[in-house]
Amino acid sequence: MRTIEPWVERPLTTFVAEAQVRVALLMTSSGQVVAQHGFTRSLDVMTAAALGAGIVASTREIAREMSAGTFGAVVHQGPRLGVYLMPFEMPGGTWIGLAVFGPDTSLGIVQLFFGKLVDDLVREAPREAPTRQVLPETFEDDLNQSLRALFGR
Amino acid sequence: MTSREQTVLDDVTRIGGVRSALLVSADDGLVVAESSVEGQHTEAAAAFAARLAQRLTVLTRTLQTPPMSMLLLQASGGQLFITQGGEGLLFVAITSNDVNIGEVRLALLDAAGRIA
Amino acid sequence: MPLVNLTAREITCKLVYYGPGRCGKTTNLQYIHGRVPENRRGRMVSLATQSDRTLFFDFLPIELGVISGFTTRFQLYTVPGQVYYNATRRLVLQGADGVVFVADSQARRFDENVESFKNLQDNLLEQGVDVRQIPLVLQYNKQDLPPDLILSPAELDDTFNFRSVPSLPADALHGTGVFETLKALSTVVLQRLAARPPSL
Repeated sequence: MRTIEPWVERPLTTFVAEAQVRVALLMTSSGQVVAQHGFTRSLDVMTAAALGAGIVASTREIAREMSAGTFGAVVHQGPRLGVYLMPFEMPGGTWIGLAVFGPDTSLGIVQLFFGKLVDDLVREAPREAPTRQVLPETFEDDLNQSLRALFGR
Repeated sequence: MTSREQTVLDDVTRIGGVRSALLVSADDGLVVAESSVEGQHTEAAAAFAARLAQRLTVLTRTLQTPPMSMLLLQASGGQLFITQGGEGLLFVAITSNDVNIGEVRLALLDAAGRIA
Repeated sequence: MPLVNLTAREITCKLVYYGPGRCGKTTNLQYIHGRVPENRRGRMVSLATQSDRTLFFDFLPIELGVISGFTTRFQLYTVPGQVYYNATRRLVLQGADGVVFVADSQARRFDENVESFKNLQDNLLEQGVDVRQIPLVLQYNKQDLPPDLILSPAELDDTFNFRSVPSLPADALHGTGVFETLKALSTVVLQRLAARPPSL
């Protein structure tokens, strides 16, 4: 379990255990990862988040084009695994949940506990603004060093 | 949902003490059709009923016993009746505890037969 | 807004490559993908048409390393350049922390560059972002073509660089200017981040 904010961890852990999902990912609507369970590589998580956010953004646009209000969950059911994708509102903006589940659970169960997860997250989200953060004075040197190391020039 | 299925579900909820009659997708636990008295939240019951039926099916297969025909789950706040409701479907009834179990059981088996 | 995890000390930034069709946005990402060590990058995802034109976006996550104690990651996106994919461009642009505008230096593509740059301004504005506020770097691609076919960086600057943002000549196919562009944008985005409070 990797979380960007400590308060997300408990609700997400509970969701994974209760819904019996293989992979769970919470992201912002622009595809930034907030928390995840089940991925082994952080870079793979980012790819999943980018694709998930893209799917949700597309369905939102389709709904807008059709004047259909908003769509809820997007579900892709495969022969072995299913993907459940659902945008929801948090105090700081829209988040998206992505869950991958196998035959050891069902869409109904995932849907049910996802609703509970959203309730838990909204309840536990901190109301106060984050504290101002100042990066150290060595920031620019460190940045240049990292860029040189990565790009080799 | 066809009007025939709705009629069948409505017939079950006419029995005293029955709060909801549901047709539930056996694989994913989603409500396909329902007849409920007002204010019932049926999604949770549908999801759990399907999950329970799946587990029981695995169990009966493993034990090589005949498949489930009717499952009755009694709790402090009410009862859950589950039976097969046709291809890939379950018939589920949510009732209060003072319901006539025999009457509901017969009604569900009859309803399942009409839908199958 | 970059995502900053103060607890795990991580920074994630979304950088978008914007520009007209066939200007070299995907080529930029392909070059980066090919040159960044495997342990510092994810898979490159290309949602493209059968003829390899970007349909939705290309996506490449890279890990910059630790900067001032923060593990820093970039999510690189391209947008589809064709005019009729504007809805998709708007979606990809959402939440961008910085933009590389890739202009095609060929003189005959000048009008398309202008149209795309205007489209960038419009789409940012629709999201409540002023193009003068967002970190922006201009890349003048295809500078390797014969001089009589292309406009010089100075000529392109006259049209596009009204903000005096970093602008770089490039030949993305062979890698010239690709990392320099990314480095320029990274610097602006992260410097800006250092001066602002984080947010989710």
